[in-house]
Amino acid sequence: MSDLLVQEPGPLTTIQDLGRFGHLRVGIPTSGPMDRDAFVLANRLVGNPDGAAALECTLIGPRVELTDDRLIAVTGADMPATVNGASVPAWQAVAVKAGDVLRLGPARSGVRAYLAVAGGLETPVVLGSRATYVRGRLGGLGGRALRRQDRLPLGPAAAARPRRVRPGQVPVYGAETTVSVILGPQDDRFTEAGVATFLTGPYELLPQSDRMGARLRGPFIEHTRGHDIVSDGVPMGGIQVIGEGQPIVLLADRQSAGGYTKIATVCSFDLGRIAQLKPGGRLTFRRVTVAEAHAMLRDSRRALDAAIE
Amino acid sequence: MTIWPEPRLLPCGDRAVSVELGDEVNRELNARVLALEYLLQQRRLPGVGETVPSYRALLVYYDPLVVDYETLEATLRELCAGARPEVLPPARTVELPCCYEGELGFELHAAAEKLGLAPAEVVRLHAAADYYVYFVGFTPGLPYMTGMPDRLTIPRLQNPRTKTPPGSVSIGGIQCCIYSVESPGGFWVLGRTPVRLYDPDAPDPILLRAGDHVRFHAIDRAEYDAIAARVEAGGYAPRITGAAS
Repeated sequence: MSDLLVQEPGPLTTIQDLGRFGHLRVGIPTSGPMDRDAFVLANRLVGNPDGAAALECTLIGPRVELTDDRLIAVTGADMPATVNGASVPAWQAVAVKAGDVLRLGPARSGVRAYLAVAGGLETPVVLGSRATYVRGRLGGLGGRALRRQDRLPLGPAAAARPRRVRPGQVPVYGAETTVSVILGPQDDRFTEAGVATFLTGPYELLPQSDRMGARLRGPFIEHTRGHDIVSDGVPMGGIQVIGEGQPIVLLADRQSAGGYTKIATVCSFDLGRIAQLKPGGRLTFRRVTVAEAHAMLRDSRRALDAAIE
Repeated sequence: MTIWPEPRLLPCGDRAVSVELGDEVNRELNARVLALEYLLQQRRLPGVGETVPSYRALLVYYDPLVVDYETLEATLRELCAGARPEVLPPARTVELPCCYEGELGFELHAAAEKLGLAPAEVVRLHAAADYYVYFVGFTPGLPYMTGMPDRLTIPRLQNPRTKTPPGSVSIGGIQCCIYSVESPGGFWVLGRTPVRLYDPDAPDPILLRAGDHVRFHAIDRAEYDAIAARVEAGGYAPRITGAAS
Protein backbone atom coordinates (compact mmCIF):
# COMPACT_ATOMS: atom_id res chain seq x y z
CA MET A 1 0.00 0.00 0.00
CA SER A 2 1.15 3.51 -0.82
CA ASP A 3 0.05 6.01 1.75
CA LEU A 4 0.58 9.48 3.03
CA LEU A 5 0.80 9.34 6.83
CA VAL A 6 -0.15 12.40 8.82
CA GLN A 7 2.25 13.03 11.69
CA GLU A 8 1.01 16.55 12.46
CA PRO A 9 -2.10 17.86 10.70
CA GLY A 10 -1.69 21.66 11.05
CA PRO A 11 -4.65 23.79 12.14
CA LEU A 12 -6.87 23.16 9.10
CA THR A 13 -5.67 20.78 6.43
CA THR A 14 -8.36 19.31 4.20
CA ILE A 15 -8.54 17.00 1.21
CA GLN A 16 -9.87 18.82 -1.85
CA ASP A 17 -10.43 18.09 -5.51
CA LEU A 18 -12.00 20.48 -8.03
CA GLY A 19 -15.32 20.21 -6.22
CA ARG A 20 -18.63 18.44 -5.83
CA PHE A 21 -21.03 19.43 -8.59
CA GLY A 22 -24.76 18.89 -9.02
CA HIS A 23 -25.93 19.19 -5.43
CA LEU A 24 -26.05 22.94 -4.85
CA ARG A 25 -29.76 22.75 -5.68
CA VAL A 26 -30.28 20.83 -2.44
CA GLY A 27 -27.89 22.95 -0.42
CA ILE A 28 -24.63 20.98 -0.70
CA PRO A 29 -21.84 23.40 -1.66
CA THR A 30 -19.22 22.72 -4.31
CA SER A 31 -16.31 23.02 -1.86
CA GLY A 32 -13.00 22.42 -3.68
CA PRO A 33 -9.84 24.54 -3.49
CA MET A 34 -10.09 28.17 -2.42
CA ASP A 35 -7.24 29.04 -4.84
CA ARG A 36 -8.00 27.00 -7.95
CA ASP A 37 -4.97 28.05 -10.00
CA ALA A 38 -2.46 27.13 -7.29
CA PHE A 39 -4.26 23.80 -6.76
CA VAL A 40 -4.23 22.93 -10.46
CA LEU A 41 -0.55 23.82 -10.81
CA ALA A 42 0.38 21.56 -7.88
CA ASN A 43 -1.33 18.65 -9.62
CA ARG A 44 0.16 19.40 -13.04
CA LEU A 45 3.68 19.64 -11.57
CA VAL A 46 3.53 16.01 -10.43
CA GLY A 47 1.81 14.74 -13.58
CA ASN A 48 -1.69 14.42 -12.07
CA PRO A 49 -4.92 15.37 -13.80
CA ASP A 50 -6.20 18.81 -12.67
CA GLY A 51 -8.93 17.24 -10.56
CA ALA A 52 -6.79 14.78 -8.55
CA ALA A 53 -7.32 15.10 -4.80
CA ALA A 54 -4.62 17.02 -2.93
CA LEU A 55 -4.23 18.79 0.40
CA GLU A 56 -5.25 22.35 1.15
CA CYS A 57 -3.20 23.61 4.11
CA THR A 58 -4.26 26.72 6.01
CA LEU A 59 -1.75 29.15 7.62
CA ILE A 60 0.48 26.35 8.97
CA GLY A 61 1.19 23.20 7.01
CA PRO A 62 1.24 19.58 8.13
CA ARG A 63 4.07 17.13 8.72
CA VAL A 64 3.61 13.98 6.66
CA GLU A 65 5.50 10.83 5.78
CA LEU A 66 5.36 8.98 2.47
CA THR A 67 5.47 5.20 2.33
CA ASP A 68 7.01 5.00 -1.12
CA ASP A 69 8.96 7.07 -3.64
CA ARG A 70 6.83 9.84 -5.14
CA LEU A 71 6.98 13.24 -6.77
CA ILE A 72 5.39 15.92 -4.63
CA ALA A 73 4.74 19.62 -5.24
CA VAL A 74 3.87 22.54 -2.98
CA THR A 75 2.20 25.66 -4.38
CA GLY A 76 0.13 28.55 -3.04
CA ALA A 77 1.00 30.24 0.24
CA ASP A 78 4.71 30.45 1.02
CA MET A 79 5.00 27.75 3.68
CA PRO A 80 8.71 26.86 3.88
CA ALA A 81 8.98 23.18 2.97
CA THR A 82 11.54 20.71 4.27
CA VAL A 83 12.21 17.06 3.54
CA ASN A 84 13.93 15.37 6.49
CA GLY A 85 14.81 18.85 7.73
CA ALA A 86 16.44 20.04 4.48
CA SER A 87 14.83 22.90 2.57
CA VAL A 88 13.10 22.06 -0.69
CA PRO A 89 11.68 24.52 -3.21
CA ALA A 90 7.99 25.22 -3.78
CA TRP A 91 6.34 25.58 -7.20
CA GLN A 92 8.27 22.63 -8.58
CA ALA A 93 8.13 18.87 -8.40
CA VAL A 94 10.40 17.30 -5.77
CA ALA A 95 11.23 13.60 -5.65
CA VAL A 96 10.84 12.14 -2.16
CA LYS A 97 11.73 8.63 -1.00
CA ALA A 98 9.85 6.10 1.06
CA GLY A 99 10.11 7.08 4.73
CA ASP A 100 10.92 10.73 4.00
CA VAL A 101 9.20 13.27 6.22
CA LEU A 102 7.85 16.39 4.54
CA ARG A 103 7.00 19.43 6.62
CA LEU A 104 5.34 22.71 5.67
CA GLY A 105 5.99 25.60 8.06
CA PRO A 106 3.88 28.67 8.89
CA ALA A 107 2.93 30.80 5.87
CA ARG A 108 5.30 33.72 5.33
CA SER A 109 2.91 35.10 2.72
CA GLY A 110 -0.49 33.93 1.54
CA VAL A 111 -2.86 31.73 3.55
CA ARG A 112 -3.47 28.47 1.68
CA ALA A 113 -0.82 26.11 0.35
CA TYR A 114 -1.47 23.03 -1.77
CA LEU A 115 0.42 19.79 -1.46
CA ALA A 116 -0.03 17.40 -4.37
CA VAL A 117 1.42 13.89 -4.50
CA ALA A 118 1.86 12.01 -7.77
CA GLY A 119 -1.03 9.59 -8.10
CA GLY A 120 -3.33 11.78 -6.05
CA LEU A 121 -5.09 10.99 -2.77
CA GLU A 122 -7.55 8.14 -3.17
CA THR A 123 -9.88 8.68 -0.26
CA PRO A 124 -13.54 7.67 -0.80
CA VAL A 125 -15.57 9.48 -3.43
CA VAL A 126 -18.76 10.92 -1.91
CA LEU A 127 -21.42 12.29 -4.27
CA GLY A 128 -18.91 12.32 -7.09
CA SER A 129 -16.09 14.11 -5.27
CA ARG A 130 -13.34 13.71 -2.69
CA ALA A 131 -13.59 17.37 -1.59
CA THR A 132 -14.08 17.95 2.14
CA TYR A 133 -17.06 19.98 3.36
CA VAL A 134 -16.41 20.16 7.09
CA ARG A 135 -19.69 21.87 8.11
CA GLY A 136 -21.69 19.15 6.35
CA ARG A 137 -19.39 16.29 7.50
CA LEU A 138 -19.03 15.29 3.86
CA GLY A 139 -16.14 13.99 1.74
CA GLY A 140 -12.44 13.93 2.57
CA LEU A 141 -11.74 11.57 5.43
CA GLY A 142 -14.90 11.24 7.53
CA GLY A 143 -16.00 14.71 6.42
CA ARG A 144 -13.41 16.40 8.65
CA ALA A 145 -10.04 18.13 8.62
CA LEU A 146 -6.98 15.88 8.88
CA ARG A 147 -5.89 14.51 12.25
CA ARG A 148 -2.70 13.04 13.55
CA GLN A 149 -2.16 9.43 12.41
CA ASP A 150 -4.55 9.68 9.47
CA ARG A 151 -3.45 7.44 6.63
CA LEU A 152 -4.36 8.67 3.16
CA PRO A 153 -4.16 6.10 0.35
CA LEU A 154 -2.38 7.20 -2.82
CA GLY A 155 -3.32 6.28 -6.36
CA PRO A 156 -0.88 4.78 -8.85
CA ALA A 157 1.58 7.40 -10.05
CA ALA A 158 2.18 7.85 -13.77
CA ALA A 159 5.80 8.29 -14.80
CA ALA A 160 6.44 12.03 -15.01
CA ARG A 161 9.51 14.16 -15.32
CA PRO A 162 9.94 16.74 -12.58
CA ARG A 163 8.77 20.14 -13.74
CA ARG A 164 8.59 23.63 -12.34
CA VAL A 165 6.53 26.78 -12.64
CA ARG A 166 8.41 29.50 -14.56
CA PRO A 167 9.88 31.86 -11.97
CA GLY A 168 8.04 34.85 -13.49
CA GLN A 169 4.72 33.00 -13.09
CA VAL A 170 4.99 32.42 -9.34
CA PRO A 171 2.43 34.74 -7.74
CA VAL A 172 3.41 37.18 -5.02
CA TYR A 173 0.84 37.44 -2.22
CA GLY A 174 0.94 40.92 -0.72
CA ALA A 175 -1.06 42.72 1.93
CA GLU A 176 -3.17 44.46 -0.72
CA THR A 177 -4.98 43.12 -3.73
CA THR A 178 -7.54 44.17 -6.29
CA VAL A 179 -10.21 41.84 -7.63
CA SER A 180 -12.56 42.19 -10.60
CA VAL A 181 -16.29 42.24 -9.91
CA ILE A 182 -19.42 42.31 -12.01
CA LEU A 183 -22.16 44.40 -10.42
CA GLY A 184 -25.36 42.63 -9.44
CA PRO A 185 -27.59 40.76 -9.03
CA GLN A 186 -29.02 43.36 -6.57
CA ASP A 187 -26.89 46.44 -7.26
CA ASP A 188 -30.18 48.29 -7.88
CA ARG A 189 -30.87 47.99 -4.15
CA PHE A 190 -27.96 50.34 -3.36
CA THR A 191 -27.69 54.09 -3.78
CA GLU A 192 -25.30 55.49 -6.39
CA ALA A 193 -23.14 56.70 -3.53
CA GLY A 194 -23.28 53.21 -1.99
CA VAL A 195 -22.02 51.56 -5.19
CA ALA A 196 -19.32 54.23 -5.59
CA THR A 197 -18.17 53.66 -2.01
CA PHE A 198 -18.03 49.91 -2.58
CA LEU A 199 -15.89 50.39 -5.71
CA THR A 200 -13.54 52.77 -3.91
CA GLY A 201 -12.94 50.80 -0.72
CA PRO A 202 -10.56 49.54 0.45
CA TYR A 203 -11.93 46.74 2.63
CA GLU A 204 -9.95 44.96 5.30
CA LEU A 205 -10.18 41.15 5.60
CA LEU A 206 -11.34 40.11 9.07
CA PRO A 207 -9.98 37.09 10.97
CA GLN A 208 -13.46 35.50 11.15
CA SER A 209 -13.13 34.70 7.42
CA ASP A 210 -13.16 31.04 6.45
CA ARG A 211 -13.98 28.69 3.56
CA MET A 212 -17.59 29.81 3.71
CA GLY A 213 -16.97 33.51 3.33
CA ALA A 214 -14.52 36.41 3.57
CA ARG A 215 -15.79 38.96 6.07
CA LEU A 216 -14.69 42.50 5.33
CA ARG A 217 -14.65 45.85 7.11
CA GLY A 218 -14.47 49.25 5.48
CA PRO A 219 -16.49 52.23 4.27
CA PHE A 220 -20.25 51.93 4.89
CA ILE A 221 -22.23 50.84 1.81
CA GLU A 222 -25.62 52.52 1.62
CA HIS A 223 -28.78 50.63 0.63
CA THR A 224 -31.88 52.21 -0.89
CA ARG A 225 -34.43 50.25 1.15
CA GLY A 226 -33.14 47.69 3.59
CA HIS A 227 -30.90 44.67 3.17
CA ASP A 228 -33.52 41.90 3.00
CA ILE A 229 -34.60 40.31 -0.27
CA VAL A 230 -36.85 37.39 -1.15
CA SER A 231 -34.19 34.65 -0.73
CA ASP A 232 -32.40 33.56 -3.90
CA GLY A 233 -29.33 31.57 -4.94
CA VAL A 234 -25.93 32.75 -3.70
CA PRO A 235 -23.33 32.57 -6.49
CA MET A 236 -19.68 31.70 -5.92
CA GLY A 237 -17.99 35.02 -5.12
CA GLY A 238 -21.31 36.74 -4.40
CA ILE A 239 -20.88 39.81 -2.17
CA GLN A 240 -23.63 40.17 0.42
CA VAL A 241 -24.02 43.50 2.16
CA ILE A 242 -25.92 43.17 5.41
CA GLY A 243 -27.27 45.57 7.99
CA GLU A 244 -24.04 47.26 9.02
CA GLY A 245 -23.25 48.12 5.40
CA GLN A 246 -20.29 45.75 5.39
CA PRO A 247 -19.56 43.18 2.65
CA ILE A 248 -19.08 39.42 2.91
CA VAL A 249 -17.68 37.54 -0.11
CA LEU A 250 -19.21 34.05 -0.25
CA LEU A 251 -16.81 31.29 -1.17
CA ALA A 252 -16.35 27.54 -1.73
CA ASP A 253 -18.31 26.26 1.30
CA ARG A 254 -21.00 28.97 1.15
CA GLN A 255 -24.71 28.55 1.79
CA SER A 256 -26.56 27.83 -1.47
CA ALA A 257 -29.21 30.51 -0.93
CA GLY A 258 -29.75 33.56 1.22
CA GLY A 259 -31.95 36.54 1.94
CA TYR A 260 -29.49 39.45 1.81
CA THR A 261 -28.78 41.91 -1.00
CA LYS A 262 -25.78 41.07 -3.16
CA ILE A 263 -24.14 44.17 -4.61
CA ALA A 264 -21.71 42.38 -6.94
CA THR A 265 -19.94 39.09 -7.64
CA VAL A 266 -16.17 38.51 -7.67
CA CYS A 267 -14.96 37.00 -10.95
CA SER A 268 -13.89 33.36 -10.75
CA PHE A 269 -10.31 34.00 -11.88
CA ASP A 270 -9.72 36.43 -8.98
CA LEU A 271 -11.15 34.35 -6.12
CA GLY A 272 -7.69 32.92 -5.40
CA ARG A 273 -6.47 36.42 -4.53
CA ILE A 274 -9.03 36.57 -1.73
CA ALA A 275 -8.10 33.06 -0.59
CA GLN A 276 -4.48 34.18 -0.19
CA LEU A 277 -5.16 37.49 1.59
CA LYS A 278 -4.23 37.41 5.27
CA PRO A 279 -6.47 38.90 7.96
CA GLY A 280 -5.74 42.63 8.03
CA GLY A 281 -4.97 42.61 4.30
CA ARG A 282 -6.75 45.16 2.12
CA LEU A 283 -9.05 44.39 -0.77
CA THR A 284 -10.22 46.75 -3.53
CA PHE A 285 -12.99 45.94 -6.00
CA ARG A 286 -12.75 46.91 -9.66
CA ARG A 287 -15.80 46.86 -11.89
CA VAL A 288 -15.71 44.95 -15.20
CA THR A 289 -18.39 43.98 -17.73
CA VAL A 290 -19.41 40.39 -18.46
CA ALA A 291 -17.62 40.51 -21.84
CA GLU A 292 -14.44 41.89 -20.24
CA ALA A 293 -14.59 39.22 -17.55
CA HIS A 294 -14.89 36.43 -20.12
CA ALA A 295 -11.87 37.78 -22.02
CA MET A 296 -9.93 37.98 -18.72
CA LEU A 297 -10.94 34.41 -17.86
CA ARG A 298 -9.58 33.18 -21.22
CA ASP A 299 -6.33 35.11 -20.64
CA SER A 300 -6.02 33.67 -17.16
CA ARG A 301 -6.50 30.11 -18.43
CA ARG A 302 -3.89 30.68 -21.15
CA ALA A 303 -1.45 31.99 -18.55
CA LEU A 304 -2.12 28.95 -16.37
CA ASP A 305 -1.49 26.61 -19.30
CA ALA A 306 1.81 28.36 -20.05
CA ALA A 307 2.97 28.59 -16.42
CA ILE A 308 4.86 25.30 -16.26
CA GLU A 309 8.17 24.65 -18.04
CA MET B 1 -48.77 39.35 -7.76
CA THR B 2 -45.30 40.48 -8.73
CA ILE B 3 -44.36 38.42 -11.76
CA TRP B 4 -42.18 40.32 -14.24
CA PRO B 5 -43.70 40.59 -17.75
CA GLU B 6 -40.27 39.58 -19.10
CA PRO B 7 -37.67 37.61 -17.13
CA ARG B 8 -34.77 39.64 -15.77
CA LEU B 9 -31.37 38.09 -16.52
CA LEU B 10 -28.95 39.28 -13.87
CA PRO B 11 -25.25 38.39 -14.24
CA CYS B 12 -23.76 36.83 -11.10
CA GLY B 13 -20.06 37.09 -11.91
CA ASP B 14 -18.43 35.52 -14.97
CA ARG B 15 -19.82 32.00 -14.46
CA ALA B 16 -23.45 32.36 -13.35
CA VAL B 17 -26.61 34.22 -14.22
CA SER B 18 -29.79 34.63 -12.20
CA VAL B 19 -33.04 34.33 -14.13
CA GLU B 20 -35.44 36.33 -12.03
CA LEU B 21 -39.13 35.82 -12.79
CA GLY B 22 -40.64 37.97 -10.04
CA ASP B 23 -40.18 39.25 -6.54
CA GLU B 24 -42.33 37.48 -3.99
CA VAL B 25 -43.10 34.23 -2.19
CA ASN B 26 -45.80 32.73 -4.35
CA ARG B 27 -46.44 29.13 -5.41
CA GLU B 28 -47.32 29.97 -9.01
CA LEU B 29 -44.13 32.01 -9.42
CA ASN B 30 -42.03 29.29 -7.79
CA ALA B 31 -43.59 26.59 -9.98
CA ARG B 32 -42.50 28.59 -13.03
CA VAL B 33 -38.93 28.68 -11.66
CA LEU B 34 -39.00 24.90 -11.17
CA ALA B 35 -40.46 24.46 -14.65
CA LEU B 36 -37.67 26.58 -16.13
CA GLU B 37 -35.10 24.43 -14.35
CA TYR B 38 -36.79 21.28 -15.62
CA LEU B 39 -36.84 22.53 -19.22
CA LEU B 40 -33.22 23.67 -19.02
CA GLN B 41 -32.13 20.25 -17.76
CA GLN B 42 -33.97 18.61 -20.65
CA ARG B 43 -32.34 20.95 -23.16
CA ARG B 44 -28.85 19.70 -22.19
CA LEU B 45 -27.15 22.82 -23.52
CA PRO B 46 -23.37 22.20 -23.40
CA GLY B 47 -21.67 24.49 -20.90
CA VAL B 48 -24.64 24.72 -18.54
CA GLY B 49 -23.69 23.46 -15.09
CA GLU B 50 -25.55 23.50 -11.80
CA THR B 51 -28.88 25.17 -11.29
CA VAL B 52 -30.23 26.51 -8.00
CA PRO B 53 -33.95 27.22 -7.84
CA SER B 54 -35.28 29.57 -5.17
CA TYR B 55 -38.60 31.34 -4.52
CA ARG B 56 -38.55 33.57 -7.56
CA ALA B 57 -35.33 32.99 -9.49
CA LEU B 58 -33.20 30.27 -11.04
CA LEU B 59 -29.45 30.64 -10.61
CA VAL B 60 -27.71 29.03 -13.59
CA TYR B 61 -23.99 28.27 -13.49
CA TYR B 62 -22.24 28.02 -16.85
CA ASP B 63 -18.80 27.64 -18.36
CA PRO B 64 -18.14 30.67 -20.59
CA LEU B 65 -15.32 28.75 -22.30
CA VAL B 66 -17.98 26.33 -23.62
CA VAL B 67 -21.11 28.43 -24.12
CA ASP B 68 -21.11 32.14 -24.96
CA TYR B 69 -23.29 34.45 -22.95
CA GLU B 70 -25.49 35.48 -25.89
CA THR B 71 -26.39 31.85 -26.69
CA LEU B 72 -27.12 31.13 -23.05
CA GLU B 73 -29.25 34.23 -22.67
CA ALA B 74 -31.25 33.49 -25.83
CA THR B 75 -31.87 29.89 -24.69
CA LEU B 76 -33.00 30.98 -21.22
CA ARG B 77 -35.40 33.59 -22.62
CA GLU B 78 -36.86 31.05 -25.02
CA LEU B 79 -37.33 28.47 -22.24
CA CYS B 80 -38.90 31.05 -19.91
CA ALA B 81 -41.72 31.52 -22.40
CA GLY B 82 -42.71 27.85 -22.00
CA ALA B 83 -41.93 27.53 -18.29
CA ARG B 84 -45.42 26.80 -16.97
CA PRO B 85 -46.21 24.61 -13.93
CA GLU B 86 -47.97 22.05 -16.20
CA VAL B 87 -44.64 20.89 -17.67
CA LEU B 88 -43.47 19.59 -14.27
CA PRO B 89 -43.78 15.92 -13.35
CA PRO B 90 -46.38 15.19 -10.60
CA ALA B 91 -45.34 16.30 -7.11
CA ARG B 92 -44.47 13.90 -4.29
CA THR B 93 -45.94 14.01 -0.79
CA VAL B 94 -43.56 13.13 2.04
CA GLU B 95 -45.03 12.22 5.43
CA LEU B 96 -42.88 13.13 8.41
CA PRO B 97 -43.54 12.04 11.99
CA CYS B 98 -43.13 14.95 14.42
CA CYS B 99 -43.05 14.92 18.21
CA TYR B 100 -44.33 18.21 19.66
CA GLU B 101 -43.68 17.20 23.29
CA GLY B 102 -41.36 18.51 26.00
CA GLU B 103 -37.75 19.34 25.15
CA LEU B 104 -38.22 18.39 21.48
CA GLY B 105 -40.75 21.21 21.02
CA PHE B 106 -38.99 23.55 23.40
CA GLU B 107 -40.63 26.75 22.10
CA LEU B 108 -44.17 25.42 21.61
CA HIS B 109 -45.53 27.00 24.78
CA ALA B 110 -43.85 30.37 24.17
CA ALA B 111 -45.09 30.40 20.57
CA ALA B 112 -48.62 29.48 21.66
CA GLU B 113 -48.60 32.34 24.15
CA LYS B 114 -47.35 34.76 21.49
CA LEU B 115 -50.11 33.57 19.15
CA GLY B 116 -52.83 33.66 21.83
CA LEU B 117 -53.66 29.98 21.26
CA ALA B 118 -53.56 26.89 23.45
CA PRO B 119 -50.44 24.75 22.78
CA ALA B 120 -52.65 21.81 21.77
CA GLU B 121 -54.39 24.05 19.22
CA VAL B 122 -51.03 25.14 17.74
CA VAL B 123 -50.08 21.46 17.36
CA ARG B 124 -53.44 20.60 15.81
CA LEU B 125 -53.23 23.48 13.30
CA HIS B 126 -49.59 22.82 12.47
CA ALA B 127 -49.99 19.08 11.96
CA ALA B 128 -53.15 19.46 9.87
CA ALA B 129 -51.60 21.68 7.18
CA ASP B 130 -50.28 20.72 3.76
CA TYR B 131 -46.81 22.20 3.24
CA TYR B 132 -45.21 23.03 -0.06
CA VAL B 133 -41.42 22.95 -0.54
CA TYR B 134 -40.38 25.95 -2.66
CA PHE B 135 -36.75 24.94 -2.67
CA VAL B 136 -34.12 23.21 -0.59
CA GLY B 137 -30.93 24.79 0.61
CA PHE B 138 -29.15 27.29 2.80
CA THR B 139 -27.84 24.29 4.72
CA PRO B 140 -27.91 20.84 3.05
CA GLY B 141 -31.48 19.56 2.73
CA LEU B 142 -33.28 22.39 4.55
CA PRO B 143 -36.75 22.96 3.00
CA TYR B 144 -38.21 26.45 2.55
CA MET B 145 -41.95 25.77 3.06
CA THR B 146 -45.26 27.54 3.54
CA GLY B 147 -48.75 26.13 4.07
CA MET B 148 -49.67 27.03 7.62
CA PRO B 149 -53.03 28.63 8.35
CA ASP B 150 -52.81 32.41 8.89
CA ARG B 151 -53.37 31.95 12.62
CA LEU B 152 -49.84 30.50 12.92
CA THR B 153 -48.14 33.52 11.33
CA ILE B 154 -45.61 34.65 13.93
CA PRO B 155 -42.73 37.18 13.98
CA ARG B 156 -39.28 35.61 14.02
CA LEU B 157 -37.39 35.37 17.31
CA GLN B 158 -35.94 38.67 18.53
CA ASN B 159 -32.72 36.96 19.55
CA PRO B 160 -31.81 34.06 17.27
CA ARG B 161 -30.42 30.93 18.92
CA THR B 162 -26.82 30.01 18.19
CA LYS B 163 -27.65 26.29 18.02
CA THR B 164 -30.76 24.45 16.85
CA PRO B 165 -30.81 20.63 16.82
CA PRO B 166 -31.23 18.97 13.41
CA GLY B 167 -34.79 17.81 12.77
CA SER B 168 -36.28 20.78 14.63
CA VAL B 169 -39.64 21.69 13.08
CA SER B 170 -40.11 25.41 13.42
CA ILE B 171 -42.14 28.41 12.29
CA GLY B 172 -41.33 32.06 11.53
CA GLY B 173 -43.39 34.58 9.54
CA ILE B 174 -45.55 32.54 7.17
CA GLN B 175 -42.84 29.91 6.80
CA CYS B 176 -42.25 26.48 8.25
CA CYS B 177 -38.72 25.14 8.29
CA ILE B 178 -37.01 21.96 9.38
CA TYR B 179 -33.39 22.43 10.44
CA SER B 180 -31.24 19.90 8.59
CA VAL B 181 -27.97 20.32 10.48
CA GLU B 182 -27.16 21.93 13.82
CA SER B 183 -27.25 25.63 13.03
CA PRO B 184 -28.22 29.07 14.34
CA GLY B 185 -31.91 29.83 14.01
CA GLY B 186 -34.51 32.55 14.32
CA PHE B 187 -37.65 30.37 14.04
CA TRP B 188 -39.79 29.05 16.92
CA VAL B 189 -39.18 25.34 17.45
CA LEU B 190 -42.50 23.50 17.87
CA GLY B 191 -41.31 19.92 17.63
CA ARG B 192 -38.78 17.55 16.11
CA THR B 193 -38.85 14.85 13.48
CA PRO B 194 -36.66 11.77 14.00
CA VAL B 195 -36.23 11.53 10.21
CA ARG B 196 -32.94 12.83 8.79
CA LEU B 197 -33.34 15.48 6.14
CA TYR B 198 -29.60 15.33 5.55
CA ASP B 199 -27.62 12.16 6.13
CA PRO B 200 -24.03 12.49 4.89
CA ASP B 201 -23.51 8.73 5.23
CA ALA B 202 -26.45 7.78 2.99
CA PRO B 203 -26.03 7.13 -0.75
CA ASP B 204 -28.65 9.84 -1.37
CA PRO B 205 -28.15 12.24 1.55
CA ILE B 206 -31.05 14.61 0.85
CA LEU B 207 -34.68 13.67 1.58
CA LEU B 208 -36.76 16.58 0.29
CA ARG B 209 -36.90 18.16 -3.17
CA ALA B 210 -38.21 21.46 -4.51
CA GLY B 211 -41.90 21.05 -5.38
CA ASP B 212 -42.56 18.32 -2.77
CA HIS B 213 -45.51 18.45 -0.41
CA VAL B 214 -44.88 17.66 3.25
CA ARG B 215 -47.41 16.45 5.85
CA PHE B 216 -46.60 16.07 9.53
CA HIS B 217 -48.21 13.57 11.82
CA ALA B 218 -47.96 14.03 15.56
CA ILE B 219 -46.26 11.25 17.50
CA ASP B 220 -45.54 10.88 21.21
CA ARG B 221 -42.09 10.66 22.77
CA ALA B 222 -42.05 6.85 22.91
CA GLU B 223 -42.83 6.65 19.21
CA TYR B 224 -40.21 9.31 18.49
CA ASP B 225 -37.56 7.29 20.32
CA ALA B 226 -38.60 4.10 18.53
CA ILE B 227 -38.39 5.72 15.09
CA ALA B 228 -35.12 7.46 15.99
CA ALA B 229 -33.64 4.07 16.85
CA ARG B 230 -34.78 2.65 13.51
CA VAL B 231 -33.35 5.69 11.69
CA GLU B 232 -30.04 5.14 13.49
CA ALA B 233 -30.01 1.50 12.38
CA GLY B 234 -30.87 2.48 8.82
CA GLY B 235 -34.25 0.74 8.98
CA TYR B 236 -36.73 3.58 8.60
CA ALA B 237 -37.99 5.32 5.49
CA PRO B 238 -40.72 7.95 5.62
CA ARG B 239 -43.83 7.35 3.52
CA ILE B 240 -43.56 9.01 0.13
CA THR B 241 -46.52 9.06 -2.25
CA GLY B 242 -47.07 10.55 -5.67
CA ALA B 243 -44.47 10.52 -8.41
CA ALA B 244 -42.01 7.65 -8.67
CA SER B 245 -38.65 8.97 -7.55
